[in-house]
Amino acid sequence: MNQDGLLVVRCQLGEREAFRELVRVWHAPLWRYLRGMVGSAHLADDLAQETWVAVVRGLPRLREPERFAPWLFTIARRALADHLRRAYRNAETPVDTAGAAVGDPLSSVLTATQVEAGLDGLPALEREVLILFHLQDLPLAACAEVLGVPPGTVKSRLHRARRMLRSVLVEKGYEA
Amino acid sequence: MSEQTPAPHGEVPQELERALAAEISLGSRMRHVAVGLAGGCAAALVTVLWVTEPRPLPARTQAAFAVLVAIGLAWAVFCGWVLSSRRPLYARDRVLAAGLALVVSAVTGVAGTALAVARATTAQAMAVALVGVALVTAAGLALIGARSRRRALLRMRDARQQEPS
Repeated sequence: MNQDGLLVVRCQLGEREAFRELVRVWHAPLWRYLRGMVGSAHLADDLAQETWVAVVRGLPRLREPERFAPWLFTIARRALADHLRRAYRNAETPVDTAGAAVGDPLSSVLTATQVEAGLDGLPALEREVLILFHLQDLPLAACAEVLGVPPGTVKSRLHRARRMLRSVLVEKGYEA
Repeated sequence: MSEQTPAPHGEVPQELERALAAEISLGSRMRHVAVGLAGGCAAALVTVLWVTEPRPLPARTQAAFAVLVAIGLAWAVFCGWVLSSRRPLYARDRVLAAGLALVVSAVTGVAGTALAVARATTAQAMAVALVGVALVTAAGLALIGARSRRRALLRMRDARQQEPS
């Protein structure tokens, strides 16, 4: 967290090298979150770029450098929501947030863990909270901030998501 | 949608690095600052020329002056919009930009006042000088604010660097 704060302050100062470091540190977690939500590596790349551009443009206004992670994922979530809205408006683009990984030839290669494999079978809300809490290691309060809901809602959503993930993994042949 | 091959496991793709390099470019920011200041100051000087004309001007000349002022102001507004939403200034950029604004507004203030003294009444010259002083004061305050913000961030950076990781 201290390292993030230091990097953010250096960016706000205008040290260009710090931006590259910040992106190097946070691109992989951001990309995994987006990949987990949309199921497509190409789309995750595009949304990650959109998110980073918004981050670079909004960074001078970030008042608490230590809160960079929830802020980053909030922006990513907004980019994701904008993308889904655009996709829903376009009748020719089928959007299935619960199973967007279908049809992506890389998905089976890029899915590294059993948990990530199980995530594809979950609805978007439950998948998102599991990614943020378990895969990104964001604290409960930060998850609540990113998702825009009270911490109690995050807890109940997590509980439901774990139960659903267990069922999905059992269906896929993993023992609970 | 991107046609590039996705970087493995979320590594930073080259396309993203290129896009971000353009986004954080200091040169692009300073160009917008310079063009915005040039537009605003040109509009101010043309306005001084216009209002200090000793004789009434033909309608066409007045229209030409109005168009020149509008073009200068349009550039200033456009660059202001870019710098507030597309290419925000970071702390060091703000110090540079405010320093540049101070120099340019001082030159414009002196040039405008000199023009007014040579071409207009004392009251008009005083009014132009007052506007020049107001511009220089605004730029000076912007520079003080920018330096103060930069100092605060430097303190925050140093404090974090001294913290045990």
